[in-house]
Amino acid sequence: MNTRYSDNRPLPLRILELLGKILILGTAGIFTAFPFIWMIVSSLKTKADILNTSVFFPPDPQWSNITSILFDSPIPKYIFNSAWVSLVIVALQIISGAMLAYALVFLKFRGNKLLFGIVMGTYMLPVAATYIPSYIILADWHMLDSFKGLIISSTVSIFGIFLLRQGFMQIPKGLVEAARMDGASHWRALWEIVCPMTKSSFITFGLMNFISTYNNYMWPSLITKTSNYFLVSQGLRAFFIRDGAYGTEWALVMAASAVVVVPLLILFAFTQKWFINGIGGETGIKG
Amino acid sequence: MRAKRKYRKRYDKLPIVLLFVLPALIPLIVFWIYPILRSIWLSFTNWDFISPTYKIIGLKNYQSLFKNPRFFEALWHTVVFTAGTLFPTIILGLILALLLVKPFRGNGILKFILFSPWITPTVAISIVWSWIYKTDGGIANTILTALGMSPLKWIASSDTAMLSVIIVTVWKSLGYAMIFYLSALERVPGELYEAGALDGASRWHQFFDITLPSISPTTFFLTIITMVNSLQAYDQIQVLTQGGPAGSTRTLLYMYYQLGFQEFNMGQATAVAVIMIILTAGLSLIQFKASEKWVHY
Repeated sequence: MNTRYSDNRPLPLRILELLGKILILGTAGIFTAFPFIWMIVSSLKTKADILNTSVFFPPDPQWSNITSILFDSPIPKYIFNSAWVSLVIVALQIISGAMLAYALVFLKFRGNKLLFGIVMGTYMLPVAATYIPSYIILADWHMLDSFKGLIISSTVSIFGIFLLRQGFMQIPKGLVEAARMDGASHWRALWEIVCPMTKSSFITFGLMNFISTYNNYMWPSLITKTSNYFLVSQGLRAFFIRDGAYGTEWALVMAASAVVVVPLLILFAFTQKWFINGIGGETGIKG
Repeated sequence: MRAKRKYRKRYDKLPIVLLFVLPALIPLIVFWIYPILRSIWLSFTNWDFISPTYKIIGLKNYQSLFKNPRFFEALWHTVVFTAGTLFPTIILGLILALLLVKPFRGNGILKFILFSPWITPTVAISIVWSWIYKTDGGIANTILTALGMSPLKWIASSDTAMLSVIIVTVWKSLGYAMIFYLSALERVPGELYEAGALDGASRWHQFFDITLPSISPTTFFLTIITMVNSLQAYDQIQVLTQGGPAGSTRTLLYMYYQLGFQEFNMGQATAVAVIMIILTAGLSLIQFKASEKWVHY
């Protein structure tokens, strides 16, 4: 009878609580959504309307702002760069991460624990501390200002190794051993037995790393200088401050931001579950 | 005979182990481990990036950092920024999770909205925020004026620039903390509450005696993650303030960027990097020790 859902308190108190709940959640929701809404309504305003903050909705929506970003600006090119570079990086990260996690969980070898210790040790380090030497390495290899440099410096994801290791440990070892007895190679055991059983870890890994690589700014902006190689964050910032036009073309800048952000929101709407599982549940956080 | 078989058994696995380990280990060494060690080494030199040679100057980079008021300013800004993002993110994240944990109509859409900033590029949303913060004709000041408060200069003044950057950062990371807490709350065993209810515990006591201790691992984890992220915040600072006005939003990481990639003072830049590594390692160690001592599983 007495579960956590029972509530014997007087009605006024419960109504008060409900109102408080609505107030807090409503405020938080509006505060969070507002910048997105303001970005979208601003992107459709004329140069004159945008400076008049007493007008919320654009009186005369300027769809031409959006079309000029889509067809007449470098923004789509930056989106394309970000998308394909991130896809390649995430594919490489999944392959290298899955193999290492497989070795850590299913292959007994000397130094297994040490290897995991090294991976774990690098997890918390500030990645920026590696940027100066990594920059020098790419300079020595003549890979600055190129897609090659962007890709080759990001082929491993420590977060991903953790996520997959966590998933792999749930699989009974006997399953992999049985497959090995039947003559399957480790490679086939990984992709035909382990991978299908931990599909959700793989999907979460892929999506989370795709988004963070796609949005990444500091490292790409340090190693690429030619706009041909800009990923979307750097491209957007370059568009924002171009020709010293800082702060004069707000409607176009908002349109460019909207063109970048809205597709990501749509992607997120369809894949929300994997992010939430990945963050909350399956990373198996233990303090 | 047996010894030989055992020997073979141990070493015929070596090629397959290498094959599985190296694709991740080589990049890990080249772009993580070696650069960290190299940073530590460079922090003892006076390299300026352009000259092919450099001298080992011992602890001079650290000594001149510790004499430089700019460094202590940056350290202080890092502390303010970290504390300023940590407490609101954790506390508000927990409150939102508590309110959202029982399903109700519209629960899903709220979670979607609250989490969405986390997946959008920080640069894009920082540009939007700089438009919101615009001193004359920005919507933030319009709202303040409408509420009868006096307008602020936001990112244009050294008094409010840090606050502005903190608001953007909390806005972005709130949903992330909320999601962590939601899954932690869902995992609190229902029997604990039933036992508590039998003992006649008030809801207030239930929260402090059952909920809070049960989710303490998540609180610890989020505390460390938020601190490490704050220590490394760059995108929003670069877009909103570039460390200004008058250095008021220059954190250690931003100082590292300016020293290394604008002034090419690689020795001092890597010295700042080493200090950041020590700070993060310290935080991880505290987390490790504290979770042994205080966290209840």
